[in-house]
Amino acid sequence: MIHVISAVNRHLYEDVLDQHFRVRHEIFVEERKWEALRRPDNREIDAYDNEDAIYLLALENRRVLGGSRLYPTTKPTMMSEVFPHLAAVRGCPVDAQIWEWSRFFVTRERRDGAFNLQLMAAAQEFCLDQGIERLCLVMETWWLPRFHDIGFVVTPLGLPALVENSWTMAATIEINQESLNVVRDKIGMKNLVHQDGPRLDCIAHANTCGRTAAQRKSA
Amino acid sequence: MSAVDYGREALDFIEGLGAYDRVPDAMDALAVTFGRYGFEHIIVTGLPNPDQRFSQMVLAKRWPAEWFSLYTEKSYDRVDPVIRKCRQSVNPFEWSEAPYDAELEPGAVEVMRRAADFRMSRGFVVPIHGLTGYEAGVSLGGVHLDLNARSKPALHLIAMYGFDHIRRLLAPSPHPSARLTPREREVIAWASQGKSAWEIGEILNITQRTAEEHLATAARKLGAVNRTHAVAIAIRQRIINP
Repeated sequence: MIHVISAVNRHLYEDVLDQHFRVRHEIFVEERKWEALRRPDNREIDAYDNEDAIYLLALENRRVLGGSRLYPTTKPTMMSEVFPHLAAVRGCPVDAQIWEWSRFFVTRERRDGAFNLQLMAAAQEFCLDQGIERLCLVMETWWLPRFHDIGFVVTPLGLPALVENSWTMAATIEINQESLNVVRDKIGMKNLVHQDGPRLDCIAHANTCGRTAAQRKSA
Repeated sequence: MSAVDYGREALDFIEGLGAYDRVPDAMDALAVTFGRYGFEHIIVTGLPNPDQRFSQMVLAKRWPAEWFSLYTEKSYDRVDPVIRKCRQSVNPFEWSEAPYDAELEPGAVEVMRRAADFRMSRGFVVPIHGLTGYEAGVSLGGVHLDLNARSKPALHLIAMYGFDHIRRLLAPSPHPSARLTPREREVIAWASQGKSAWEIGEILNITQRTAEEHLATAARKLGAVNRTHAVAIAIRQRIINP
């Protein structure tokens, strides 16, 4: 099951979230060598791990096996603050219905293609349910054919550039039933996403963030 | 052109690709676009396993006919250093960056030399690595190339989208009706466990006849000749897990 964890239910998952920051440190820092993310407490936590973040975490008996993070584009995002040059042609989206997708990871033991697909399907399923229309993301360019393979519609926002020796690009992914069906067919599973606690409303939340940002600007 | 101009042109082209619904039209469009960078020859191809023939892997090409027959007759794909690097690399590269030992690999020397005879003295390759280990590439050749730090990212993206579009045209995704319903998937999954239609009916609390109908519909949608064949296809296409 892939659990949705956000500000409204994180009190149910504090242990899991902490474990997930350690797993991220293991994967992104120790394994993939993104040294800029290294932290002495061995937890990979960045500026976007805050009350606006939503985590989709694959859990097995509360053990974190993989996951990803969603963040509203009505707030400054990793794309707009760290990688705006990757979106130089079309610009970084700012829209309550477009959320940034980041920190996609799978633990070493589960790195078979099928598990990857479950996490991708979960993102489509969750966003479709929430009325999110697109995800935007910064990704390694060689992943593009893999997204194509599972029927995701990926639209580039600019040209690839080298980031830490990897060709990296900014893009959006369409959320739609068709894409979800294709990936569901591949994995032979439905309804991967599990939510405990009060119902989330991402769009309403993103709109609130946006207003606060606008108010901040005019102040 | 500035980097942003290269980018705008590439992204406009990519967004327009969907309008070409025949492979020759898509290849014409790609030939014009790659031509603007000086490329004269294009091949869009899967990479053969040891037991596959190169000619069967090609999705589309704009190669001189004579060069293609020479390449396939002499099985140059077995010695071509560009193909070897294409398998090992996720990053695009120039042909000249594909290493080989001129002393120990006369075949590699030959293929690179002969390519130049067909106005392919230089080239650029974009490797494609699919989800299930599928390996492919888009290789572009020519003589006078606009190949630099600004044009390469544009070529990279155009080639990847060009590849995807052509593969889609050649193997259109199954018609929506070909998709199994959750119930059909369920009966096939039980059939794959050796259950009879009667047993499946008992398990799912439906009549044997309904179970048989679900099995028959699933088999028809999968293009299977019988139940066993349907199970085999469903496993192969990962519709169910073995």
